[in-house]
Order: sequence, then structure tokens, then C-alpha cells
Amino acid sequence: MRRLAPVALALIATTSSCVGSTGSEVVDFPVFAAGPVDSVAGSPYEFDTSAGYHVRLDRAVLHIGGVYLNRSRPVQGAQDTPCVLPGVYAAELTSGMDVDVLSPALQRFPAPANGTADRALAGEVWLTGGRVDATEDSTPILQFEGAASRESLSWRFEGVITIGTNRQITPSDPATPGANPLCKSRIVTPIPIDLTPRDSGALVVRADPRVWFDLVDFDQLEGAQGQGELLVVPDELEGQPATTLFQSLRSVSAYDFVWQ
Amino acid sequence: MPLTPPRPLSRLAALLLAAALGIPAVALAQGEESLSAPVVLSRVDAHYPEGPPPARDVLSVLLVTVGVDGSVEEVATAESGGKEYDRAAREAVIQWRFRPAQRDGQPVRARIRIPFTFPAGGVGTAPGAASSATVSASSSAAAPSSGSASASVLVPASASSAPIPAPSGSSSSGGMQSATAGQAAAAAKALQPDPAVRAAETQAPQQVVIVGRSRPPSRGASDFQIELGKLREVPRKNAAEMLQLAPGILLTNEGGEGHAHQVFLRGFDAREGQDIEFTVGGVPINEAGNLHGNGHADTHFIIPEVVHSLRVVEGPFDPRQGNFAVAGSADYELGLDRRGTTVKYTRGSYGTDRILLLWGPRSQGRGTFGAAELFDTAGFGQNRDARRGSAMGQYEGKLGDKGAWRLTGQGYSASYHSAGVLREDAYRRGLVGFYDTHDFRQGGDASRFSIAGDLEQTVDDMRIRQQVYVIRNAMRMRKNYTGFLLDVQEPLQNPHAQRGDGIDLQVDSWTLGARGSSRSRTVIGGLPQELEVGYSARGDYGSGTQLRVQSSNAVPYGRDTDVEYSLGDIGLYGDLNVRPLSWLTFRGGLRGDLFTYNVLDRCAQDSVRQPSRTDPPGDASCLDQQDFGRYRDPTQRASTSQAALLPRASVIVGPFHGMSLSSSWGEGVRSIDPVYISQDLGTPFARVRAWESGVTFGGGLGNTHLVSRAVFFRTHVERDLVFSETAGRNTLADGTTRTGGLLSGRWSGSWFDQNANVTMVRSTFDDTNLLVPYVPDLVVRYDGSVYHDLPWRPAGRAVRATVGTGVTWVGHRPLPYGQRSDALFTVDLSGSLAWRNYEVGVAATNLLNRRYRLGEFNYASDFQTEAQPTLVPVRHFTAGPPRMLFLTLGVNFGGSE
Repeated sequence: MRRLAPVALALIATTSSCVGSTGSEVVDFPVFAAGPVDSVAGSPYEFDTSAGYHVRLDRAVLHIGGVYLNRSRPVQGAQDTPCVLPGVYAAELTSGMDVDVLSPALQRFPAPANGTADRALAGEVWLTGGRVDATEDSTPILQFEGAASRESLSWRFEGVITIGTNRQITPSDPATPGANPLCKSRIVTPIPIDLTPRDSGALVVRADPRVWFDLVDFDQLEGAQGQGELLVVPDELEGQPATTLFQSLRSVSAYDFVWQ
Repeated sequence: MPLTPPRPLSRLAALLLAAALGIPAVALAQGEESLSAPVVLSRVDAHYPEGPPPARDVLSVLLVTVGVDGSVEEVATAESGGKEYDRAAREAVIQWRFRPAQRDGQPVRARIRIPFTFPAGGVGTAPGAASSATVSASSSAAAPSSGSASASVLVPASASSAPIPAPSGSSSSGGMQSATAGQAAAAAKALQPDPAVRAAETQAPQQVVIVGRSRPPSRGASDFQIELGKLREVPRKNAAEMLQLAPGILLTNEGGEGHAHQVFLRGFDAREGQDIEFTVGGVPINEAGNLHGNGHADTHFIIPEVVHSLRVVEGPFDPRQGNFAVAGSADYELGLDRRGTTVKYTRGSYGTDRILLLWGPRSQGRGTFGAAELFDTAGFGQNRDARRGSAMGQYEGKLGDKGAWRLTGQGYSASYHSAGVLREDAYRRGLVGFYDTHDFRQGGDASRFSIAGDLEQTVDDMRIRQQVYVIRNAMRMRKNYTGFLLDVQEPLQNPHAQRGDGIDLQVDSWTLGARGSSRSRTVIGGLPQELEVGYSARGDYGSGTQLRVQSSNAVPYGRDTDVEYSLGDIGLYGDLNVRPLSWLTFRGGLRGDLFTYNVLDRCAQDSVRQPSRTDPPGDASCLDQQDFGRYRDPTQRASTSQAALLPRASVIVGPFHGMSLSSSWGEGVRSIDPVYISQDLGTPFARVRAWESGVTFGGGLGNTHLVSRAVFFRTHVERDLVFSETAGRNTLADGTTRTGGLLSGRWSGSWFDQNANVTMVRSTFDDTNLLVPYVPDLVVRYDGSVYHDLPWRPAGRAVRATVGTGVTWVGHRPLPYGQRSDALFTVDLSGSLAWRNYEVGVAATNLLNRRYRLGEFNYASDFQTEAQPTLVPVRHFTAGPPRMLFLTLGVNFGGSE
């Protein structure tokens, strides 16, 4: 009996050794993108802007290169952080696609996202066609065309936005030549969220084009006369319309993350 | 029985043939006679029973019947030295192998008388062992040939009063080879071989004294003294794999053939040795201060064939255990049983070649040997080629009548490439093959050169021991755990894309050290009591750098670490071995360690918030400016120290009919990585507290021997270390606790040797009660060997066949983020035939050719397998080797058959 007692004790005490967890879990889930809920598929999307324009978008296609969920939300006033910070991501979608942002229909990304079942507090939309830190990228990030009117004036406009060296910001301080990396221009962050990814459910990213054009002053486009002429928004950081549109494209308020 | 002298020509022919084949002259000499006695071919030393050595010499005489196959068929006690000593002698002798007695060239059964003397105090010569044969053999065997854990034993030179040809294959062969054929014949005549098997116990036996090394007293059920014996036949590619004979050990290796093994033991992820104190013959293997992992222990320099035994203590229960003995300790004892010169060549799968040379003079004990190997392989997949050379030599000599000295030298150098880890998703999508690599620049180099000398002597009632050693280590390791993840754009840096996370780590170190001890003995109440006091002192002087290199061209672009260190570790201990009753033993004492650190950080400043506008640091890693461009030296020195007192105790009850109960408690310590040192802050070493209780059974079952154990254990570590793939080295974590149990058993007989163990453990973090990742909670291991002479006898000599099997089963290991790894199941098989001095063997590792993941990990990496950076943790793995086949040819010159 004395021989068996320690054996039995050891077995009993260790029967639980093959159970338990290291915490959290790995998850996969689908990701969808869509335009505003009040848009109608196949129809132009019309809205009024804060700049006093009535805008009708006939086409707006956004290329989303990736979607990331970040476990931490930057504290206001904190030191600037690099584009990516390993160890803080809860989920990622690394395959991109073009999204018709004039359609409310859910458009599924070709591959699911993967991550861990950890609470995410910030969303990121990566507006890139190539690697996020590549110096050049000719992928059209936003293609748009439509018309704007204010009082009796009207304009037709179109444009393509890319994010490459045309968006490079020259550093103002020679001591910090890497302070404005191009990748920062390609990542829209931090989009406020509070969700925990699960295997059951899906992430929906809605882009709102109203935000992009809300402060654009079409009257400042080169050649603008208000006679219905077609104007091209330049693909560079020059002039109020192009600069404002690009900055608005990267505004966190233009994107909404919903777990459903 | 008439004796027919051989004709001169046939004798000459036989001599020439024998010379060509390397047959010992003794064997030929025996051919002159029609009658010969059994000759010891291989011998296993007897060990002292549990408890203190006897106050007086103990003599136990056995009558042993040797069968026609040379095995021990029957053992009887002719003269008892006490039950425990008789049993110890029986347990040893049943493992002996003989060349059987012969009549007219045909083997016959014979009974011989074998005396075992257990000298008082553990070391000494036996009274009356003074014949010429004894003296001759004694001088040769006086070297601590037992090299094993045995303390001191007497083995017979012969079975009769006449000197009989010696056990040339054994360590006690000595001058017995000079015995004449006539003497052998006389001895044989005295044996009265079969059919009238008759005792020769009336003959006064010759005795040979072997002065051996003392073995530390056992600490109970978790103190594993492992004689390799015939389990050596189980396929093992290196000395590290011998550890699997102890329960609860899993070995993985994500770094390649020249990279140290990652060891898991009883719920510890000991990485490459950080939690296990490794020694070889008492000389430390752990590298204090190694940048890759403090305590890094690479055992590749040990040639497996010269490992005689292992002592594995699973827990910090022995006061002799020092730094790094958190999960336990493992000591390799070197020795070469096969005497003469052995040459082996192995050809294996994937362009694997190995040449091995072994030599050990027959006149010397097993502790005197030389060994050298060259190994080369193309590897079983991409970027897995490796080559290494290793040489080891050891000489043991006698120091007076009651002492021995030993000198050991060793050199090792290796170069290898490594496949590293693969992303599971990349493999599943077909982007990489199972045995491919993400980064061809991974690999490394390693070298180790050491010399050590020690002596042990009994003076009066005191046994003293002194050892000194010098070790030179160098290691370069090129790894890439994370791909293109960590090289983020910093404001101070010039704009760049991810350049790659390759690590180029270099460590160079010298270690100087000494150990010494004194064991005193007295008798109280008729029972011997012991006190051992001792010290260990080592200094480690080295430097370490870790560079980040570009994946495209291997050019360094950053410097993570650059340190130079001088570390001291002075330990002292006292160990009592108290036996108030014959069945009750208390062992234990106190150990104290002082750790001192003097670290020069050559890269003390790596960032500045307000850089100089006129002289910006740019991409420099180690800066010489503070805010606003104020100068500072990029180096900074820090020194600190701290002492630890570590109590350890064991109580052993028994043995009762071979069964003992034991319970142990102890504290251990692991020093910290030099990079964590701060000026005048105490050395933040990790302390472990462990206890265990167990039951051990050891004894004979007929002519077989069984040792079995059951142990329950619990261990707590204050500040554990967890490997960080991003840092490329171990980082501090919170406290952890391990609870578990194990069962193990080893059963051996004259034709088999079986060892099996199963360990279950639950390892959790204290603050969250979550499982510690990567640590296996179920490990099952089986090693078995079966050996016997085949029924046919070419040229009148037996052909011995041996089959060895190793089976490993590891349950689903916990991984980060609630994941579990695949279970791991492998079968290794070997077979060999030995005839005369020749041997041919085949071996298969991973016989079932299972495609398994040896290591699995969950962490974030970006090997650019996706369109965008992969930043969340995913599964990675290192591939276990596929089925590999090896053919080995061996020949021995000058040794026994």
C-alpha cells in the first residue's frame, strides 16, 4: 500500500496537467467593406459639404491594402510611434481589394483576417498597393469622379490618388530625417473601436466619402470657372483641393469599424 | 583430457592471421590449450549500497555460473558481506559478459568464484590483495577507471587461484595480459567445467583493486544515476540525447546541427541550458554571461561513445549543485569500455559521413582514453549542412594507494547552417516546403577548448578532492526569428524600408575555475556518519555583441548589444549524511553562492530625444551624445553583487525489501544575464524552491535487475525567463509554478536492458494561473536494447546481435494564445552484428518517417509571405528530421573480441 500511495498521489495530482490554456485564442474571421449605409448601389451618391458644395459622386473606388486591429490606442500627447509596432496587433487582413464606396452592399475581402481573441481599441486602414514602407507605389488608392455645385456654379471633377513619393514630406529638422516616413501617409489610424475578434462574426469596414470631400474647395481647382467644366484633382500635395482631399482621405472619421 | 600441441606452421599461420585481424595475443595463447577458463569481456562495477560507506572493509564472495554464451546464468552467495552488499555485488555481476570457458575449443558452462570487496571509507585497497597479478592489475586499474559513479570496488582478476587471462575488454585488464597460457590452462583445469559444473570456491581468488571516484550520496527518487550500458545501442546522434534516459526530458533544436539543444525538463523550458547545470566530469558546460542565453550549454563537443554514465538530479536537492541548477543538473561521466583502438565509419542519409577514432590502452582503465570524430552532413533540407570535429582525451593515474588523478583535454569546432523557423501559413499555401527555410543566412560557428585536472585521495578518514579547469568558448550565431518585422523607421534614422531582422551574435569567453571538497567520516552508534564541505569557484571573462544585419547582403546596420563582462561565482557548501538508524538517513545542508558582476556596456546610449541639429546621430546605434548634442561616452560600466543562501535537505527511509521512500526540499538559483545589471542594484537572480516525494524500488528479479520510481514534485520559480523572438534572447517574466509526477523503470538482464519513463507536469504563471507556453505536460520515453549471440558461429566465434529501440511520445504542448502543438511521436531503431573485432550496424531515426514539427511557436513575424506585413502572432515550426538511415562499420585493433 505504501508503494502505491505516492503513485496514486502523483497520478491524481497530475491528471489536470493536460488541460488548461495559455490564455486567449487564435481566430479567423471574414472582413467586409462597404460604402455608407444610405447609399444606393448603382446610383450616384449625393451630399452637401461643410464648404457649401453639393456633391454628386458618380464613381468612387477605394483600394484598401490591409486592415489591422490594434490592441492599444495612442495616448494624446505621447511620443510619436513608428508605423508598426510589433506586439500590439490583435488582428490583420493582409490582402487588399478595391471597394466601391458608393454601394452599401458588403464586399468581402478575398481572404479572411486572422488574429487573437484580444480586445482591440484601434483600427487601421492601410491605403497601399505595395508594401507599406515601399518608396514608390503607383496603385490608385482612390479613383473618383463626380460633380459639385454651389449656388449657380458647377464643376465636374475626377481624379486618382496614389501614395508614393508624391506624398513624401520633406523633414523640417535635419536631426530627424526619418520623422515622416511614407508609411505614415498610408496608414489611417487610430480609428476608435472597442471589439474583440472572434471566430464567429465578421468585421465590416465602412468608408464615408462625404468626409473626404467635406472641406474640399472645388473653386480652387486649377482652371475652375464654374461652367460645368471637367477638372482634374492633381495627384500631389499642391493646392487646397488636392491637399484637403488627401488629408481627409486619411481622416479616421471617414472609416467606421463594426463587428457583426 | 589429452592436450594436443598445435603444429608450428598452423600456429604461425594463426599468429599471422590474428595479427592481421587484431586479435589479442592472449586469445591465441589460449589456443594452445584444450581447456580454458571464462574471461571477463565486459564488466559493470558494483556500487556501494545507499548510505555511508562501511566503517570496515566488506567482502562479499559470489559463485557465478557462466553459460556457454558467456552470460551469467546463476549467482549464489558464497560468503556474505551483508545483504545490501551481496545485493550490490549481484546486481553488478549479472551484467558481466564473459568469453565462456572452453574445452577443446568448444564453450562449456563453468562456475567461478568472484569476490567483491567494498573498502572502508569508499576508497582503498583490500587487505591481502598483494599477489603479483593483483599488483600488476591494480596499478593499471588504479586509474579511476570506474569513471562511473562507483566509488571503489574490487573485481576479480580471475576465477581461480591461478592467474587467468585478464578481462582485456574491461577496465581492469591491466597486466593480466601477461598471464601465460600455462597459467590459463592451470586455471581452467581448476574450474572443472561442464558437464560436471563444480564450484571452485575452495580456491583463493586473486583480487584486483580499482580505486574509483566517489559518488555523491543519492538525493532520493529524483537522483538518477544512469549507466548507459547496453542502452548505448539505441540510436543517438549526440550526447544531449542521452539525457532522455532521465524522465521528463524533451529535446528540440531550431538552430541546426551545431546549435545547442533546447531542453525541457519537468515543466521547465530550460532553453539551451539556462535552467540545468551541465557538467562533464565535474567541469561546467554552462556559459555564464552568454548573450544568447545566460547559462547556454552546448554539449555537441561530447563524443557520445566516451560517455560512460550520467547523473541527472531533477531538482535543486544536492548542496553540490550550483548556478543554473533550477530544474536540475546533469553530469556526464566519461569513460571508454572498449579497449584497444577502434575505428568506425558511418555513412548516412543526406550525405552524412562520420569518422570516429577511439583508443584506450588495455593496460589502463576506462578512464584513460582518446577519441576523435569528424562529422559532415549536407542536411535533410534547405540550409541544414553542418560539419564538426571533436577530440577528447583523458588520462587517469594512481596517486599512492588511496588516490587517483585525472587529466582531461578537449577540443571542438563546428560550423553549420540553420533553416530556422517556418511560418505554418506559408507552408500550407505552398510558398515553402516542409524542410525549407525563410532565410538562407542563418547558421553559426562554435568552438570549445578546455583542459581540466583533478585528484582525489583518502587521507586518514578524510577523502579530499580538488579540480581545476580552463575553458575557452567562442560562438557565433546568425538567426532570423521574425523576418522583416522589427526594423521600423525611427525619426533619427534616414528613411529606409525594413532591412531584415537578422541577428549576428558573437560570444567569446574564458572560464577559469576550481572545485574542492573534503568528506569526513565518523561512526556513531555503530553507523557511519559523514560531513562533506566543499567549494566551487569560477570566473567568466568574455564579450558579446549582437548586430542586426541586412537580409539582402548581410551587412550590419545596427548594434543591439555590445558588452564585456567579468563574472564571479564563489560557492561553498556543507553536506551532512546522517544515519541515526539503519533504515533512516538525513542528507542535506546549506549552500551559499556569491555572484559578482562587472559589466562594460559599449552601447550604453542608443537613442536621444533631442538630437544635435548640426551633428545628428543618423543611423548610428551606439551614440556619443545626449540631448542637444552634449557629449557622452558611449560606454558605461556597472558592477554589482549579491549572495544567496540555499538550504537543501533529503530524508530517505529504507530500504525495506529494496524499497525506499524519500522526500527532498531545496532551493536553487540562476544568475541573471549581464545585460540586466544596474550599478549597485542587487543582482536580480531567479530563485527556485522545489520539493518532492517519491518511492524507489531496486532489486533483483531472478537473474534480472529492476529499478523503478514514482515521484511527485512541485517547483516554484520567482522570476522566470521566457525567450523573446523579437529580442532574440531570454527576457524576464513573472513567477511560475510546476506540479507533476513521474514514473520510471529500468529492467535489465543478461540479454536485455529496458528503460521507460513517463512524466506529467502542469506549469503555470503565478499571477494568471495560465499555462507556461511551450513546456510539454506529458513526456513518454522508452529506450530498449536486446542482445544475444546468434546460433551460428563462423570460424568458431560467436556473432552477437544487438537491437536498440528508442521511442518518444510528447503530448500536445501548450502554445501562446491558447494553442496546442501537434503531438510528437518518433521511433528510432538500430541493429548491429559484432563478430570478433568487427562490427557492422544499421540505424534508422524516425523509422516511421513521420513528418513532424519538432518545435512549434506562436509569435508575430513577417517573412514577406503576404502582400502586407504580418503583425499578429501565428504558428511557426521547425521541422523534425525525416527518416534517416545510417550504416556503420567498425573494427577494433588490440582490444578484446
